[in-house]
Amino acid sequence: MKLKTRLTLFFAVYIIALSFVPLLHDTLIAQSRWLGYGTGTYQYQNQDYFVLFNDPYDGSSKPHIHVNPSFAPAARVSLLEFSDWTSWVNDHNLFNEFDVTMRADPRILDVTYTRPEMVIHKYVEVSSDSVKVTLQSEKEFSAHLEMWRWVMSSINGISIKDATKPLAIPLTTVVEFTFEDERLQSLGRGRIVMSAMPAQVEIWPHEKGFNRITVDFVNSMMTFTVSGSMEAVGAPSQPWSYALLPYVMPIVAITVVALYLLVGKYGRALKNRATRRSS
Amino acid sequence: MEERSRIVLLAAAVRVAIAPFFMHAGDVGTIYESSIMALKGLNIYDFVSAKTLQMQNATGLPVFFEGYAYHPLLIYFFAPFYWVFTLIAGQGPVMIDGHYPALPVLIYPWTPLLLLMLKIPIILADVLVVYVLAGMDARKAKIYAFCPYVIFVGAVWGMFDAFVGLFLLASYLTSSRSKFLSGLFYGLSLMKLYTAVLLPLYAVRLYGRWKELAQFLGGLAITLLPVAYYLVVSPKSIWNVLVTFQGGRLMGGVNLYNFIWIVQDLIFDLVVSMVPTILLIVALFYLITRFGRKAPLLESILAIMFVYFLFGKVINEQFLVSIFPLILLSRECDHKIWVAPFIFIFLRSPFYYFMLPILWTSPVFYGYYLQADEVWRQLQAAGYLQIPMYAVGIAFSLLIFWNLLQLVDATRGGTASIPRVTESTGFQQKTTVPDQFRPEFQNGSGRDELVNRLMVALSPDGR
Repeated sequence: MKLKTRLTLFFAVYIIALSFVPLLHDTLIAQSRWLGYGTGTYQYQNQDYFVLFNDPYDGSSKPHIHVNPSFAPAARVSLLEFSDWTSWVNDHNLFNEFDVTMRADPRILDVTYTRPEMVIHKYVEVSSDSVKVTLQSEKEFSAHLEMWRWVMSSINGISIKDATKPLAIPLTTVVEFTFEDERLQSLGRGRIVMSAMPAQVEIWPHEKGFNRITVDFVNSMMTFTVSGSMEAVGAPSQPWSYALLPYVMPIVAITVVALYLLVGKYGRALKNRATRRSS
Repeated sequence: MEERSRIVLLAAAVRVAIAPFFMHAGDVGTIYESSIMALKGLNIYDFVSAKTLQMQNATGLPVFFEGYAYHPLLIYFFAPFYWVFTLIAGQGPVMIDGHYPALPVLIYPWTPLLLLMLKIPIILADVLVVYVLAGMDARKAKIYAFCPYVIFVGAVWGMFDAFVGLFLLASYLTSSRSKFLSGLFYGLSLMKLYTAVLLPLYAVRLYGRWKELAQFLGGLAITLLPVAYYLVVSPKSIWNVLVTFQGGRLMGGVNLYNFIWIVQDLIFDLVVSMVPTILLIVALFYLITRFGRKAPLLESILAIMFVYFLFGKVINEQFLVSIFPLILLSRECDHKIWVAPFIFIFLRSPFYYFMLPILWTSPVFYGYYLQADEVWRQLQAAGYLQIPMYAVGIAFSLLIFWNLLQLVDATRGGTASIPRVTESTGFQQKTTVPDQFRPEFQNGSGRDELVNRLMVALSPDGR
């Protein structure tokens, strides 16, 4: 075999082989552990949940919990987003007024918020049935936390028709909400279980539903156990999702390499034929 | 007016007309910030290194602050122009922040003037390349002068790979007459560090000709003095910024490796990023030992750089500018490969991002920016942009591969050039040049005037 052919063959195989790396990573390595990337973003993926915790330079998605519907596992439907932009501890904004450091072991993400007079840990732990978000400090603190979703059709049985203004709901440790996903033509259910009785729970209406649940509490520790599920109502088609990219990359690689080889093989002959005809 | 002057003036005019109104905020911001620090006598590497340590501490990940990670000499090409700017506009801030993901605050009316001043050195480098090329082949000079890709990278983006292109071209052109100058220009081409892969080639070609090797290294050493200075005054910082950062970068860019951007696992990505590095070392070793001494210098330089483009971890969209003048000089290469990185620019960064200096002049435009950016981010989040980026990356790698094969083929078949080997040294003096000016180039009568003057002025033996 000529050197040129051998090199071409090697390079074609090299490109195609590498294109499978995302798929191999997704299948063999990425499941059920915290992975850091970018400028300090962390994510956790298991069969049921996809959890994103943004880097320290962004106050949103702290964390952002997605549910993976069993009928469309790659769809990643937003379930609930904790926001540091709009959350306060002892009247200090979690995003703007604390220094943040993040550390992860395979199971738990530990985010430490530090101010001169206090240190608070936010632990995020994902299991197959729920995502636990715990705020903990050595001293008691007062907190106002905001959890977002665009939008929730009902919260603890209250629909938008019953609450046209922000509404403090009866005190409880369990908040249940429903939502619809038009893309998947499905109905979603979410549940937040708090480890202690909060001081206040408010729900915030926004156009077609509620977009916020705010919780105020005073404690040295509070755990929010978030779970959710999706139920197909119609006949949902498999939608495109970012999570499908690992499957697409090999197809792209094979297509481009095949085009290159075809042009290499037939391109010159076609060009010569065209040149002969025109002359 | 003679054609050469016309091309040069037109090339300069196009660039000057565009330069004040466009920029890549992150990259121009880095130069602006570093120019300020250089004029204040502050240590740029300490700043970047401290930011990196801060990020690593905050995230618990081996992430790096993407600031000034270049040869120390680079900033002294920009700082004088920034100094001139301050004489006109004063010392007040003009561009506040702008490091990704933040958007800069721009102060008017000074922003356009600042952009023009910071881009003048880049435009000068571009124009000098045009001038040198026009002395050899007006057609090729025109291609470089009016290539949309080259204009975009320098005058719109504000990226300075044109320096690398100019100095690499100068190193090649002076190599037959003055090894000292060749070494000096090669050293200057290291401003963006990636031309470091050429050092073994120069060394192998000069091996056994100790005087010439010493001259080459002498020229190179002069350019490395600032590095030596920083290695003495702040060794940890410069090591962290130049070696650890550059060595520990994630693979990606306009190449076949950008699939890694969808693998969101930094530790894994860094391990996989070692694969092309291993192949790069193997390929460089093979090429240099096999063809390093016998192939013409132009083809050798291009082959090594192509191998770097294939197996280098990071190939950014603008890197091709650095070898574009040499590609134009080679008969074997197809210069139209610029199309791939040019397309890639607009897949990676939305076109309106380069228009911030225009869009930031009015709250209405700013509103349009936010609306457009919303759509762009949705496309990104859905993964729609990653697919064409990967396709273009592979296509560019394959085009580079094709050009490399052409070079290897021509070199093995002896058609790459007509090297003239000196009797005493066996070192090839001339390499491939287009037929139409080969005779003048070889006998020296048509040699580019600028290069000639430079060589006479700077050559240690006065030739």
